[in-house]
Amino acid sequence: MPAIFPRWTNHIPVVAGLLAPLVGAGLIFAVWYWFSPKFTDVGYRPKQPVPYSHRLHVSDVGLDCRYCHNTVERAAHAAVPPAATCMNCHSQVKSTSPRLEKVRESYNTGAPIQWVRVHQLPDYVYFDHRPHVAAGVGCASCHGRVDLEDVVELKEPLSMSWCLDCHRNPEPNLRPLDQVTNMAWDPAEHDYDPNKDPMRKRKVQPPTHCSGCHR
Amino acid sequence: MPARTSLVRVAVGLSAVAFGTVGCRGIPSEKPPIHLQQNMDFQQRFDPQEPNPMFEDGRAMRLPPEGTVPVGWLMEDDHLWRGRGPDGRLVDALPPGIKLDRKLLDRGQERFNIYCAPCHDHLGTGRGMATRRGGGFAVQPKNLHEPRLAAMPLGYFYKVITDGQGTMLSYAAQIPVEDRWAIAAWVRTLQASQRASASDVPEEARNRPVPKALAATRAPEGGAS
Ligand code: HEC
Ligand code: HEC
Ligand code: HEC
Ligand code: HEC
Ligand code: HEC
Ligand code: HEC
Repeated sequence: MPAIFPRWTNHIPVVAGLLAPLVGAGLIFAVWYWFSPKFTDVGYRPKQPVPYSHRLHVSDVGLDCRYCHNTVERAAHAAVPPAATCMNCHSQVKSTSPRLEKVRESYNTGAPIQWVRVHQLPDYVYFDHRPHVAAGVGCASCHGRVDLEDVVELKEPLSMSWCLDCHRNPEPNLRPLDQVTNMAWDPAEHDYDPNKDPMRKRKVQPPTHCSGCHR
Repeated sequence: MPARTSLVRVAVGLSAVAFGTVGCRGIPSEKPPIHLQQNMDFQQRFDPQEPNPMFEDGRAMRLPPEGTVPVGWLMEDDHLWRGRGPDGRLVDALPPGIKLDRKLLDRGQERFNIYCAPCHDHLGTGRGMATRRGGGFAVQPKNLHEPRLAAMPLGYFYKVITDGQGTMLSYAAQIPVEDRWAIAAWVRTLQASQRASASDVPEEARNRPVPKALAATRAPEGGAS
């Protein structure tokens, strides 16, 4: 009488036993790697309506972030500048450049330039620039080296664990209070100790309780 | 065992295919981030500077209707808001609420370096970096040490920052009013510094080395003109 199952079926338990953990591990890896904001969010670099370059304006012309994002020390939101701010200079320099057509149009008509937003937290998260800038967390710690980018790119995942990693141990990310907008300031080159800085009146205490960020 | 090596091959092959089709972390992309929970991430409210299709001009942030004044913005203090005294002439003093001290000047210096130095440079000579690039300015920014400007009352500098002057546009939207006075005070300080002689420096400070922070604000090559 011939066998009901052919001979090769004898391997099934072995192969399945070997494959199952591999597939399982592969699935876990895939979720860990690809479902993370480090994959889904980081690297977002939308095309902007005006080819504005931070590299040119910050590194080359030497503008401070606050010249344009002037509310960053005063409000939760770091305002993206209106066309009038650009026109301070561009009514004088490159005043006929076709690349600045949209800026001139916006300045003359009052219709806003439709910049594409890059950094955006979910609406249920409360974020405020003020305490961070006042505590001496550099723009570069959260936005990367914007001054070297021609197009702004999302460099950090802006995930909850990213916030908490810093909130639990903020000290390595603190810098002297007057270096916040200095993108080239490298913590590795300076052994800065926030506890010994006479400009600091108190120890920083970032919230790690839920209602700190979900209010 | 051949079965095991082929399994490893399959695993390596599969992950290569996966990385190849899905991509690695941090690759620049124009595709927006993925939001699984749309309704919680984007709630029925508007963030600052968000567009709102309901209004004709598409802005969620509304401008105050014409002829109305927001609370706290009546600006009836002529000295503070317009730099003018009761006689309508430009004043030569800080408003009563603002005290001249080290803090004010430090603030003024910092704000001057942010908002004015790109064009007027750190010393106020009018040769800032923005005017040296891309073909230069059609009208060169003024040297703040000109005799005409050195003789101007303090209120004049406040007024220029607030209302603009000639081809220089207004900075009222970018700089809050107290900071404008701090900058005006710093402009005065710069002017005095350029007319100072060695005998104005206190004896014990004459041979002190220049602090690093100040050295960075020194005149650009070519010097003050
Ligand atoms: C000349 C004006 C100007 C200066 C100076 C400037 N920015 Fe910007 N910034 C803009 C404009 C305009 C945008 C919006 C267009 C874009 O995203 O490229 C922007 C966008 C950004 C964004 C992204 C906003 C978003 O949509 O999420 C970040 C972050 C940012 N800037 C950080 C900085 C930092 C940090 C500095 C200082 C090193 C700086 N900027 C200096 C004009 C400026
Ligand atoms: C402090 C002065 C200053 C401000 C403010 C400023 N720019 Fe510029 N921008 C310059 C200068 C100077 C150049 C030319 C640099 C060069 O070519 O070397 C330039 C060049 C440019 C160019 C390239 C133009 C071309 O044809 O090559 C674009 C686009 C531009 N700016 C956009 C903007 C936008 C948008 C804003 C407002 C958010 C802005 N700029 C604000 C000084 C300024
Ligand atoms: C602690 C991290 C952190 C620091 C420090 C920080 N930012 Fe941000 N920034 C964020 C986050 C998070 C967002 C997104 C906010 C949101 O979606 O509400 C953001 C958004 C922005 C935006 C877009 C507009 C907005 O407010 O949503 C600009 C422009 C910006 N930041 C500029 C700056 C500048 C300039 C500095 C330095 C003075 C700075 N940021 C420092 C985390 C930071
Ligand atoms: C690089 C470090 C760093 C990162 C990243 C960071 N924070 Fe903070 N945050 C701080 C520090 C430092 C303080 C404390 C300030 C103090 O004690 O004065 C703070 C304070 C706060 C506060 C308290 C504000 C208040 O009014 O008391 C909130 C809310 C907050 N952070 C939210 C966030 C959120 C949301 C994120 C992530 C999107 C984030 N932070 C990412 C450093 C960071
Ligand atoms: C430092 C700020 C901060 C604190 C403290 C914090 N969160 Fe969050 N939380 C965030 C941010 C930012 C996000 C958005 C993450 C994202 O977009 O991927 C978030 C997202 C979430 C989400 C939604 C997750 C999702 O993917 O839909 C939940 C649930 C949540 N937080 C619960 C909590 C709880 C519970 C606590 C207290 C133990 C807490 N959070 C404390 C910043 C914080
Ligand atoms: C975008 C470049 C630019 C910036 C930034 C700038 N200025 Fe000017 N400024 C000019 C130009 C150009 C003139 C010459 C205007 C003219 O004569 O038409 C000028 C002229 C002046 C004058 C002389 C006015 C007169 O009576 O002739 C003063 C004072 C002055 N600026 C002060 C300031 C102060 C203070 C700041 C900082 C808040 C500042 N400027 C920022 C470009 C600039």
